[in-house]
Amino acid sequence: MENRIKEIMSIVFETDLSMIDDSASPETIENWDSLKHMNLIAVLEEEFKITFSDDEILDMLNYGFICKIVKEKLI
Amino acid sequence: MIHLKYSDILKKNFELRKSVNGNEFKVAILSNITCHQINEIMEYALRSNGINASVTQCNYDNIMQESENISCVNAVIIFWEAANILDGLYYKINVFDKNEIEELTAKTIKEIKFVIDQLKHTPIVIFNTFSSRIFNYQFPKENNFDLLCNALNETLRNNISSNIHLINLENILADISIKVATDMRCFYSSKALYTIEFYKHYVEHITPILLSTVGKTKKALIFDCDNTLWNGILGEDGFEGIKMSAHEKDGLPYHEVQHLALELSKKGVIIGLCSKNNPEDVDQVLMHHHDMILSNKDLSIKKVNWVDKVTNLIEIAMELNISTDSIVYVDDSNFEIDYIKTMMPETTIIKVPENKYEYPSLIRKAFRYFYFSHETKEDSARTQMYREGVLRSNAKGNFSSIDEYLESLNINLDIYVNDLNIVQRMAQLTQKTNQFNLTTKRYTDTDITRLLSDDNNLLIAIDVKDKFGDSGITALSIIKFNSDTAEIDTFLMSCRILGRKIEFKLFDIIVEHIRSKEIPYIKATYLRTIKNRQVENFYNNIGFSFTGEANNLKHYILETDQYVTKKIDYIRIN
Repeated sequence: MENRIKEIMSIVFETDLSMIDDSASPETIENWDSLKHMNLIAVLEEEFKITFSDDEILDMLNYGFICKIVKEKLI
Repeated sequence: MIHLKYSDILKKNFELRKSVNGNEFKVAILSNITCHQINEIMEYALRSNGINASVTQCNYDNIMQESENISCVNAVIIFWEAANILDGLYYKINVFDKNEIEELTAKTIKEIKFVIDQLKHTPIVIFNTFSSRIFNYQFPKENNFDLLCNALNETLRNNISSNIHLINLENILADISIKVATDMRCFYSSKALYTIEFYKHYVEHITPILLSTVGKTKKALIFDCDNTLWNGILGEDGFEGIKMSAHEKDGLPYHEVQHLALELSKKGVIIGLCSKNNPEDVDQVLMHHHDMILSNKDLSIKKVNWVDKVTNLIEIAMELNISTDSIVYVDDSNFEIDYIKTMMPETTIIKVPENKYEYPSLIRKAFRYFYFSHETKEDSARTQMYREGVLRSNAKGNFSSIDEYLESLNINLDIYVNDLNIVQRMAQLTQKTNQFNLTTKRYTDTDITRLLSDDNNLLIAIDVKDKFGDSGITALSIIKFNSDTAEIDTFLMSCRILGRKIEFKLFDIIVEHIRSKEIPYIKATYLRTIKNRQVENFYNNIGFSFTGEANNLKHYILETDQYVTKKIDYIRIN
């Protein structure tokens, strides 16, 4: 799952896979703006067949936290 | 595309960005809601058709201002969401007083007219009509918000010009449901109303409109016969056993599909047959079966034999002088469909569904492939013309020389010079003609009107008639005059009139005009495309000198005095 999330982030942000490390966030990734963030949410929801709440969406601003929330949803 | 995941669309679109080249096709989105998620989906739809598209969003909620700044784009798409004309308008309007409503309505109508006027030179404007459905479907009675949308839509309908295409979003909402199409979570947080699923359907809906301006319209709908035009197999069930009657459950879907095909044929789509059957059996059905709706006169071409389908479809394309990617083929057999998909991936295929009651709706969905904004006189007469074309090519064998054959056709031409009455048809010719087209320049109605307004331009169009019928206005040349040169900007002929030496006659006429203006030189160019190889040597053949080549563009020149008139006497000018 973690790898797939990395892959998704590299597709959405059009960035190299190696750029997505544990600290990846809008500060470290150039393309990660509020619009691309919506794209990321749409892809994650489609991919893992889950739905985030509006507050979760606002919180999901780094790779580690994204993995944590997705994992919780999948249990 | 509907079945692709969003992540796959993003990925494929990124890859296509590198591989698709050619002229950039620019699409700008004007909106008062957040709708950036359409960008990659729209780009992917166009790029996967070989078009080097780039889609950009103009500044959010600045439709008026941005419409003023737009220039040099191929298309504009407008998402003007009624609910967001003012923040929360959809609920606030129902507590507005009469004056407030009137003022708002009048102001918005003015804005719409302004935007339409600003965009009058944009080749295509896709304007979504205003809708209150998303916020009002629960209410038993119409309210102010509904009435506002009605008033705005009426303004739209009364003010559109030929470059504007109105799209009714409610059709897409009806198709996939408001629940699937919208995301209130993102609407309240970021004014993003629509979902990815919505954009995929929306893009699929409008792509044929954009494709039609770059000469990529579907032209023919070809049916297998058994289980596509009637229920049953003619060779097994027999003349009496096949079903397509309105009076039986199993025949009714086919009865309906035949009507839909007939409707398309009347709109100018080529309808044809490609079927493994005994030709005489199918002819019997076409001529004598009283449940048949389609008849020989509605069919431009028939390939009924035992030859494989791929060979037949390629022959159909050749005989009709269309490319295989402009064919839509309907069949029920997985075997045939797989084979065609492998050999001709560019051809669109419709598979008859297992549940026959779903079949008519699938054919209705295919109507969008044949989108063309303005039906011209030539469209509705086209079935007839294509059929005459096939008759003509079959007649060829009986003459000892091609000239003898051509002479027997009694070809005669009507010439239109700078004629404002045929603007739409001239634009349509530049957009649809791919094969006999020396420069493949696409012009919109607006472009043609602009060209006509300049005295230094000459637009000559030709209507070709012969003893088999009238092909309509099917050839066009645009010439631009300078003090000492006449430049052939456009020289094209519809494939319907190829092989009759009309191009030479047309060139004689052009040179006559140039001579009358005493212009000493004629310059011409040939721009190579995938489809126009057949005219690569045209200018050489009529006596021009080749002067150089760069970027697939060949340049030619000729002294006007040196032109040798071809004098094709058997082509008469009316």
